[in-house]
Amino acid sequence: MAATKAARKPNPAKLRVALIGLFLVAAWLGMAYRLVQVQVVQAADLADQGLSQRLVTRDLAPQRGKIFDRNGELLAMTIEAQSVWANPGQIEDPLWVAQQVGGLLDVDPDLLYERLISDRDFVYLKRQVEPVLAEQITELEVRGLYTHPEATRVYPAGQVASHVSGFVDIDGNGQEGLEYVYDEDLRGIPGKAVFERDLEGRIIPQGISDIAPAVPGTDLNTTIDLPLQYQAQQACLSALVRTDAESCWVVVLEVETGGVLAMAGAPVFDPETRRTVDEECDPTEDPVCSSFSNFVVRGVYEPGSTEKLITVAAAVEEGEVEASTLIPEVADVLELRKDACRSADDDLYGCYRDFEEHETSDMTVAEIFTRSSNVGTILVAEKLGQDRLVSYIEKFGLGSPTGIDYSVEAPGFLNFEAGCETCWASAAIGYSVAATPLQMAAAYAAIGNDGVWTAPHIVASTTDVDGNEDVTGLETRRVVSESTATLMQSLLANVVDEGTGRAADVEGYRVGGKTGTANKLGEDGRYTEETRASFVGMAPMDDPKVVVAVLIDSPSFKFRTGGAAAAPVFAEVMEQALHRLGVTPDATDG
Amino acid sequence: MTAARPLRRVANDRSLRVIKGHSLKRLTLAPWTIMVIIGVVAFLGLGFARTSLDRSAFELDRLDKAITEQEAINEQLRLEIARMENPARIAPLAEEMGLVIPGNTRQLLVDLDGGGPAVASVEGEGDTQ
Repeated sequence: MAATKAARKPNPAKLRVALIGLFLVAAWLGMAYRLVQVQVVQAADLADQGLSQRLVTRDLAPQRGKIFDRNGELLAMTIEAQSVWANPGQIEDPLWVAQQVGGLLDVDPDLLYERLISDRDFVYLKRQVEPVLAEQITELEVRGLYTHPEATRVYPAGQVASHVSGFVDIDGNGQEGLEYVYDEDLRGIPGKAVFERDLEGRIIPQGISDIAPAVPGTDLNTTIDLPLQYQAQQACLSALVRTDAESCWVVVLEVETGGVLAMAGAPVFDPETRRTVDEECDPTEDPVCSSFSNFVVRGVYEPGSTEKLITVAAAVEEGEVEASTLIPEVADVLELRKDACRSADDDLYGCYRDFEEHETSDMTVAEIFTRSSNVGTILVAEKLGQDRLVSYIEKFGLGSPTGIDYSVEAPGFLNFEAGCETCWASAAIGYSVAATPLQMAAAYAAIGNDGVWTAPHIVASTTDVDGNEDVTGLETRRVVSESTATLMQSLLANVVDEGTGRAADVEGYRVGGKTGTANKLGEDGRYTEETRASFVGMAPMDDPKVVVAVLIDSPSFKFRTGGAAAAPVFAEVMEQALHRLGVTPDATDG
Repeated sequence: MTAARPLRRVANDRSLRVIKGHSLKRLTLAPWTIMVIIGVVAFLGLGFARTSLDRSAFELDRLDKAITEQEAINEQLRLEIARMENPARIAPLAEEMGLVIPGNTRQLLVDLDGGGPAVASVEGEGDTQ
């Protein structure tokens, strides 16, 4: 019995082995379960989690296209700059940092301090600074200060071409000028890069890699001639000083193509800072000095006598008059409504006067045009009638946008209200019509181009990343016959040779053009003593190549006329334009 | 001296027989050895190739960065050239050096039909309007 009991008593050693075996089996089962869980059940999810930790997706910003002048000179390009930012939570001494960094970045330390004590994790201290400056910031070794690369737009020609190129905002979106109109073409197509990286951020060579490279933006090849653009701007800045005017605008067109060779104005602005360069300018007091709106394209004005070209050309084209046609009894005052000239605000009620008093006499159409007689021109327009006059004004492109590739072009307008008895007469001499300097230049270019109007344009062609060039097509239409255009060219030459535009003469070339002096409308709707003085002309007259239009807004009384204020600017710019284009002199007597 | 046993007896002895394939059994080691060697070489080769690829990839990455840096420098230089060529910078410097803009000079217009060269005259300002 004792032996049996001993045999039944469990062997502790065996029991321990069994327990250990059981434990091991359980452990193995657990591990097997976990293995199946991890490798089978959760395999896909865990693999995805791991991949997502390694995978990085980066947007690849495209290089914005460049803008060139007609000679390949850079007007705008994009380079890499550095943006300085901070994590305020990591900054230990915000005041010290604000003072140090503010001095380097030329930012108000008080402003920086406010940002550095904010409760945000990311604040910009200054965006798009030069790499050298960013390096100096990094060398301060301040915890919580960082830099990161960011593209920035630069304009090597500075203020010279600012009215052409326009500008972009801080994020690179086109805001004005060519930058705005061609924004979509210039900005290119963003790319995307997906790749695996290791703990240190390096690309894992054999890992997943999918890169769709960014497509750089299209380059713009403009018709602008940078040296001429500079000369035009300088001429305008000089004119502002000389005439004490509010602003001055110049546009230079190539007659045959409608290409804009220069489009400048004063006051000017810096496209990089998007601010005026005039240190004395106070935008709150004088909005004109701080404006960067391009008056050549957007500003409308009553063109005054420069519009007479259209009136006379229309009458000639319609066979109503010739240059030698004698208009009888041209006085210096014309009253289209009874007692209109007794009214103080006579200009609005049908009283028209010539600029200079003269005896009533018979005058040829050529004399009327050369002497810029308002009364004579209205008598010519009377033969034409309102409908045909309006038709020609519209044919020459007034009252509708020229279609130039520039942002927000003003169409101008023709003021022919129902029941207005004198609007046709006003329109004949450049009132009741509002046009842009560009529209006037294009109208004169049509005469220079033997009667064919060509739409002005700034971009001659675009070049994509593969070097494919897309040339801008010309939009043309005939407005008058070649014979009418030739006659008008000779009349324009007379104005400079012996008429009101002698100050527009260019040494060595035969020049033709027309002065314009229009009183400005006041806020009460009445004409004021202030004027807009203009001159539009072309050269050389044996085969016109260039048209220049000059507008000077509110010159001093001494320079209130187109001949005194605008014609000298025209001569200066035209001379440079002819030299730049290599046009052979066509006059031997100056 | 014992006489030599006839050969026939040897042939009849069943404990001694020719075993077929004996020589083949010794030869089977060679393919395995070769396969192992090939396997090892392939493994090492693969490792080497992968390392080389990785090294090339890092080198490419480094070159890409270098190209980007050089392109950035190139763009900076291009910008500098463009700024140097800006007429607004050149013209005042040229004037300081006594140079004049071509348009401000007088032109000698030679009369090919005879007579001497004539200097084009400058017109005065005319009437204004």
